[in-house]
Amino acid sequence: MPIPHILIIEDDATLSDQVARLLEEKGFNTQQCLDGQKGLLSALQNSFDLILLDVLLPSLNGFSILNQIRRVKQTPIMMITACGAEQERIEGYRKGADDYLPKPFNFTEMMLRIEALLRRSQHPVERVTQSSQLQIGQLHLNRSKQQVFFADKSVELTPIQFRLLWVLLANQHEVMSKAFLYHSVLDRPFSRYDRSLDMHVSRVRKKLVEAGMSPERLLTMHGKGYQFT
Amino acid sequence: MKNTLFWRLCAFIAFGTVLLFWALSWLTNHTETSMSFIDADHQQQLLDYGKQAERILRYEGEASLASWLQDLQQKEDTWAAVVRSNITPFADSSLPNQYIERFQLGRSVEWKIHLYFEENPTMEIPFSDASSHLLIRLPQRMRPGAFLIYAKVFLQIALPLILLSILSFVLYQDVMTPLRRLENATNAFSEGKLDVRVSPYLSVRNDELTRLAATFDHMAERISKLIYNQRQLLADLSHELRTPLTRIDMAVDFVEQNINPKQALERLRSEASTMRNLVEDTLTLAWLNNESPRLNNDDFDLVELLDVICEDARFEYPDRRLTSVLPENVLITHSSQIALGQAIENIIRNALRHTPTESEVNVSFANCNNQYTLIVRDQGTGVPDEMLSDIFKPFFRVDKARSSDSRLAPTQNNHGFGLGLALAHRQIAAVGGTIKALNYYSEKGHRAGLQIIISIPH
Repeated sequence: MPIPHILIIEDDATLSDQVARLLEEKGFNTQQCLDGQKGLLSALQNSFDLILLDVLLPSLNGFSILNQIRRVKQTPIMMITACGAEQERIEGYRKGADDYLPKPFNFTEMMLRIEALLRRSQHPVERVTQSSQLQIGQLHLNRSKQQVFFADKSVELTPIQFRLLWVLLANQHEVMSKAFLYHSVLDRPFSRYDRSLDMHVSRVRKKLVEAGMSPERLLTMHGKGYQFT
Repeated sequence: MKNTLFWRLCAFIAFGTVLLFWALSWLTNHTETSMSFIDADHQQQLLDYGKQAERILRYEGEASLASWLQDLQQKEDTWAAVVRSNITPFADSSLPNQYIERFQLGRSVEWKIHLYFEENPTMEIPFSDASSHLLIRLPQRMRPGAFLIYAKVFLQIALPLILLSILSFVLYQDVMTPLRRLENATNAFSEGKLDVRVSPYLSVRNDELTRLAATFDHMAERISKLIYNQRQLLADLSHELRTPLTRIDMAVDFVEQNINPKQALERLRSEASTMRNLVEDTLTLAWLNNESPRLNNDDFDLVELLDVICEDARFEYPDRRLTSVLPENVLITHSSQIALGQAIENIIRNALRHTPTESEVNVSFANCNNQYTLIVRDQGTGVPDEMLSDIFKPFFRVDKARSSDSRLAPTQNNHGFGLGLALAHRQIAAVGGTIKALNYYSEKGHRAGLQIIISIPH
């Protein structure tokens, strides 16, 4: 996999440096822009895998940068907002941001979301070409028919639940972060108090356990995500 | 009654104006009529001329009368004549007596004069024999109504002008007095006097303007409360941030002096996380306070949500028992899973924190009176009854409220209520529900713990 290239448009030099340094430590290439106008130019001129975009910027506001980039490019964009006000978050999505990260945040949180976004944007083809059947132990999934069987017993799942189980199974033994699952299954960014993913997992687990599966196979990794073993 | 001001204005302007013009018209007619009569002295003068003429005719003869008439005409600058009237019907016709009695050659002196005729009328003064008459064109000096033009100007222009001006002034005062009060109040409010209200000054009225005043008062009440709460929140927040900030400074010193740096770094991370949560919760609280949003976009299963929250809470507090008695599923519509989830999570976490280890927190559910009721009971120390509603205020502390030199013996788990319950209160309000806290008591009457009762509409 090529080294992902990340553009950071953030006017706080200290924060920008810290983020860049930590990202480089994790093996990413980064480029920093402290000013909105310049940030927009480099976003349009170069090709990036991800753009971290602050909302409050000198010379050009984050939302207008987002708008102008979106007219020509579909580069994943993560907005960084300082206000935390719901209104601003909502505005961010409407204009096509892929995720938002409210300040204050910590690096772990940021990393999880960056990985989720990159993973989603780099593997869209793979998801289509994947086989339409999955068989793990007694569990059998048929994607074209949206059917799930456990030990030949049919398990009724909603399309979202099916997609969730599919992603977990396709990445068996791997902890799937909540941020990634939100993006790939629910098609929306993760926020701290959103419980819908947990509720879907709980429902899927309940149905599978009713069909006879051991509850330990669909694990909750507290503070990390979910894992199918 | 609705639109009182409208009806009052209607009464004043419509009825008042119609009444005014009717009165003016009547007054004008009346004045004109009363001014049309010949002055009493002049009437007498004319009658005297008649008597004089009759006397001269009787005692001095026609020649004298002729010269007298000549003099009279000159004196009064008019014409005068004496005539004999003798109506003789012919061609075998006859006149009723009534007509003959009333027949006149000119106007009687008591009759009113038509002032709209330029020319003066001819007056008739009958002699006592009733067949001879003195006819005289009314002398100009005796013509009545010399002041009619002034009377008309006064009645038709000046008087309505004055009366309508007075009416306007009265109406203006009636409307402007409360508006001026409102203006003064608005000025005072914008200068920072947040306790100014208008309604008490308008207690005698009850109309659209009092409604406006009430609306202003309502707005002033809400804004002043918001500002007060905001100030309080800001003060509390900066106070609450002091502790983690101090700990962070200390931890940095620890790292610098290489005293147990690993633990100090962990401390740094956890204090930063405390501050992060505090700031985020404060922003959410401010948002809920300022906008009072109605969150109603989600439909979900409450039991599923509770299961997920309880599972997390059990993981977080493995040394306390969290039990729940819940039905199979409870569908909630037009609500918000995030708001309700965060609220319940905070309440359960708060209950667990105030419950000693090995003790129990119980979550139970009931469906009655058209609403779902969720009860979270802890086995903590409860809260003094008089403070049961205060615990929903941001950063409220029971110990702080009890004594000013607080935290004399702080317990390990007593973090106060922080923002959790304050947030929960507003989040549950945002989904249309209510929340209250009650102590519950053991059989011996001891306070056995606190129960938080959440009601959610169907």
